[in-house]
Amino acid sequence: MNLDLSILDYFQYEFMQRALISALVVGLCAPAVGVFLVQKRLALIGDGLGHIALTGVAIGFLTGVAPMWTTLAVTVAASVVMEILRSHSKTSGDVALAMMFYGGIAGGVYLTGIASDKGVANLQQYLFGSLLTAGWDEVWTIAIGGAVVAVLMLVLRPWLTAICADEQYARVSGLPVAGLNLLLLITTAVTVSVSMRAVGLLLVSALLVIPVVTVQQFTRSFKATMFAAMGAGLLIAGTGVVASAAKDVPPGSTIVLIGVAVFVVTALLAALVRRVRRVRRAHLPPEGEPLEVELPAASA
Amino acid sequence: MPVLNVRGATVSYGGRAVVRGVDLAVEPGEAVALMGANGSGKSTLIKAVAGLVPLASGSIELFGTPQKRFRAWKRIGYVPQRTGAASGVPSTAAEVVSQGRLAHRFLGMPPSRADRDAVTQSLAEVGLADHAHCSVDTLSGGQQQRVLIARALATDPDLLIMDEPTVGVDAETQAALAAVVADRIDAGCAVLLVTHELGPLTDRLDRAVVLADGKVVHDGAPPRPVGEHADPHHEHAHPHANGDTADEAIWGGK
Repeated sequence: MNLDLSILDYFQYEFMQRALISALVVGLCAPAVGVFLVQKRLALIGDGLGHIALTGVAIGFLTGVAPMWTTLAVTVAASVVMEILRSHSKTSGDVALAMMFYGGIAGGVYLTGIASDKGVANLQQYLFGSLLTAGWDEVWTIAIGGAVVAVLMLVLRPWLTAICADEQYARVSGLPVAGLNLLLLITTAVTVSVSMRAVGLLLVSALLVIPVVTVQQFTRSFKATMFAAMGAGLLIAGTGVVASAAKDVPPGSTIVLIGVAVFVVTALLAALVRRVRRVRRAHLPPEGEPLEVELPAASA
Repeated sequence: MPVLNVRGATVSYGGRAVVRGVDLAVEPGEAVALMGANGSGKSTLIKAVAGLVPLASGSIELFGTPQKRFRAWKRIGYVPQRTGAASGVPSTAAEVVSQGRLAHRFLGMPPSRADRDAVTQSLAEVGLADHAHCSVDTLSGGQQQRVLIARALATDPDLLIMDEPTVGVDAETQAALAAVVADRIDAGCAVLLVTHELGPLTDRLDRAVVLADGKVVHDGAPPRPVGEHADPHHEHAHPHANGDTADEAIWGGK
């Protein structure tokens, strides 16, 4: 009882309410995008965009514009370039991506160095998150951005699944593959930009990926994976904020550590379940499936 | 008017012509096999027809429209060379098959009654009605191949393009698939089939086009098997047919 009250006490403070709202929005929308990235085997793209976002933050410092907007502009531009590279080059694509990621970090640190003369630059809070210092304006931006991303992903789920699972087939069925690919990367960029206050640019990718790989150990359909991952993201982010408040540690790292712990526990659990199930066959062969071998006559 | 008309098609990979000046026409309701040894260019030609690789020269017309301006892709059912129906995130057989209906749907709109019926019906046609809600990566290789064929059938095609659909599929399933495809041919669907083996599916052929080294060496009656392939008990080995690995299990499988 005492403990419950003390947790509720934290949320009397407005900054805690703001932190919780932002974290819940990010926890809900990041896996909605992440499920497609995992399907497309682009799970690390969130990391790359997080690196590039650093340059966006630094441009914000330099120009005095809110870093969230400059980050959004830079990551969206970067995602367009990445999609062009990915679709037009065969072998050198990942080298070009690597260059962009290094360049993004270096550019961010370099520009921050220039801006620090003006005494405004603090990269740390963007690298590792600083939920508690977000104002209501920022919370609303996060909420609207997150909602747009989540709605787009939910409405376009079948089309995005098709281009992520089998791009060649999607092309032959006449789907707007290039446009959908671009849309997916741009929404990833938006997600990275709105999530950076919550978990930090270096940890953004964790919220895209961890809820998805955690729940897909138990799900059978894409639809269920998507909804369960969004639920898991919500729970992990919410628990993370509460736990960080109780221990007075940064929320970003707490959220990610809880996510990793949940993944490890479920992976072990799933291995155990598979072990038990192995004796019980899930799929009977279709009617009249032939043996394909001739059994030797039973030896008397 | 042929549903598919390829004239003087040349396709190059890295400066080397893999398909050289091929002419190929498929009439409505006609079943044509594209045959030839590995590396003869048959898969490349079919990818060019599907618009997946560009032509170096020549032209391709689909339903009388030049391929560049062709938009009615929902009239074409495509079965890609087997890479497995499974992927990073689990999907059910019904989810994979419903991809075949997306070309019929407006972007962002829910499936119509007709879409759902087509998915159910094509799963039933390939004998997987009971497996509609199973995750495809728990299905056998042959069952996954049938899921991909059901996906192509779901679009209700006028031209069915299949790239080696029977690789890794047992004889019984091949016969069942041959019956499914024969039904579609009888209903007026044209079929272009890439294969390098003769089996139940090739019995129903009207014509075979044989490629060797990127050129057409035969266009006419389907060839008869020779050598060890003529043996009805001959088992074709395809080491590349299934690339399942166990070490992905901790990540939830493919």
